[in-house]
Amino acid sequence: MIRIKRLRKVYPNGFVALEDVDLHITRNEFVYLVGQSGAGKSTLLNMLYRADVPTSGEIYIDNISLSGLAPKQVPYLRRSIGVIFQDYKLLPKRTVYENVAFALRVMHFSRSRIRRQVTQVLELVGLQQKMNHYPSELSGGEQQRICIARAIVNNPPVLLADEPTGSLDPDTSWEIMQLLSKINARQTTVVVATHNKAIVDDIRKRVVALEHGRIVRDEQLGLYHA
Amino acid sequence: MIRDFIFFFSEALISIRRSGLMIAISIATISVSLVIFGIFLLISANISNLSNFFSAKLEVRVYLKDQVAQTDIPQLKAQFESMPHVRKVEFIDRDVAWDDFKKNFPTIKLNSILSNNPLPHAFRLTVSETEQIPSLVTSIRTLKTVDHVSEMGEYANRIATFSKYTRIAGIILVSLLTMATLLIIVNTIRLTVIARQDEISIMQLVGATVSFIRWPFIIEGLIIGIIGAVIAITFLSFGYSLLVVKFQQSVPFVPMLFDQMALNLIYLTVFALGTILGIFGAYLSVSKTVQHY
Ligand SMILES: Nc1ncnc2c1ncn2[C@@H]1O[C@H](COP(=O)(O)OP(=O)(O)O)[C@@H](O)[C@H]1O
Ligand SMILES: [Mg+2]
Repeated sequence: MIRIKRLRKVYPNGFVALEDVDLHITRNEFVYLVGQSGAGKSTLLNMLYRADVPTSGEIYIDNISLSGLAPKQVPYLRRSIGVIFQDYKLLPKRTVYENVAFALRVMHFSRSRIRRQVTQVLELVGLQQKMNHYPSELSGGEQQRICIARAIVNNPPVLLADEPTGSLDPDTSWEIMQLLSKINARQTTVVVATHNKAIVDDIRKRVVALEHGRIVRDEQLGLYHA
Repeated sequence: MIRDFIFFFSEALISIRRSGLMIAISIATISVSLVIFGIFLLISANISNLSNFFSAKLEVRVYLKDQVAQTDIPQLKAQFESMPHVRKVEFIDRDVAWDDFKKNFPTIKLNSILSNNPLPHAFRLTVSETEQIPSLVTSIRTLKTVDHVSEMGEYANRIATFSKYTRIAGIILVSLLTMATLLIIVNTIRLTVIARQDEISIMQLVGATVSFIRWPFIIEGLIIGIIGAVIAITFLSFGYSLLVVKFQQSVPFVPMLFDQMALNLIYLTVFALGTILGIFGAYLSVSKTVQHY
């Protein structure tokens, strides 16, 4: 599903954020990307959904080379990749429903199909009761659920999560991770960048560890530390 | 497509509400520019109307000296008729001409200014081709019975030259104004784009194409353009009809353009320029402001 070859990323200021990264993630896999802050986790995720471009190396998503992608095709790549963030990135002046429906509008879905899919996904993330609330009226965990709902509402084959539990308490973090596992079980490849040791050690999955921009460990059902 | 349009339209309205003052300034600027553009169009249309009015008359007027007697008229008429390129010769009796003049311009109280008829006897010659007028005029001027000759073509030529210069000046002025207006629209829309940067980056995140992002702003530009144009046209049409009435009262013999079709065409041009400026300005500012993939 995701294939990364000899990836290298040097920021314009000369900082080498990723070096010689090779990684293969198969369809419907669940992968933790772990490492200290500054290890290069976000940099790697950003390049997967083409928010940034590598300095050298190749990324293939579903056998499509990202470096061969014309700018015009980027929106269509984005539609097959859901992304969630630590800071949710929601629209404060729109309700929960509208925040999620927004993603489908961009993809020209019909009104009835938008209603059906948004209702379904809000049920999946457990927010069907709150769909007419504004994000500011909800807790952090609930806001993260909106963000997740928006990311998966069109059933993309890939879901990327950058520190999804970074600003949540342990119990809520655990719930969010359970939700991501549930989504993974519905035929979605999930990559989670995190430095939440408790969760990684509790909900055991494949662990890929980054250190100073290099992959130092790649283990099935691994722990946060070797 | 319709549902997208409804979405774009409501997005445009949200955006307009958020930056009301800038939009109002932008609309005012467009209106002023379009009014000036419209004034220029009206002036040049009137000048060419005037020039057509004169050049359409393929005629030469020959004014006779006072001492020419009524009995010499038939012989003179025959002489003019024998000249080359003269199609028709018509004698205008000074008394008849005076009565006509008074009838045509009843608003001018001529009797109070002039006690007796100031007009001489005259001949109106209709010429077959404009190019022949100058040589004809030269030969008529040599006749002893002729006081002076007037040909409308001369006025037409002068007006044509004048109209050429006003047109050049107008084009320069209008281009400068158009550029300035476009800049103001680009900046206005740019501010509304920046105000919605969060939304735009989320749209890009979930896979919106640049054209999808651009549409609400294009509609916003279009609305600004249309409102500006409507204000300008209202102003122009009221102003112009007022001016026509005033003009016809004070200088009735100057023909003004009041063919409604021609005026509508001018207003339509003003409208088109307004909408094009709005759309094009929005297009430019989104292309410059929204970060590309
Ligand atoms: N735009 C940038 N310009 C320069 N350096 C950057 C930029 N973005 C991130 N970095 C640097 O790259 C390194 C990796 O960053 P990041 O991928 O965000 O790490 P992580 O997500 O693992 O905490 C950090 O040292 C960071 O300072
Ligand atoms: Mg990070």
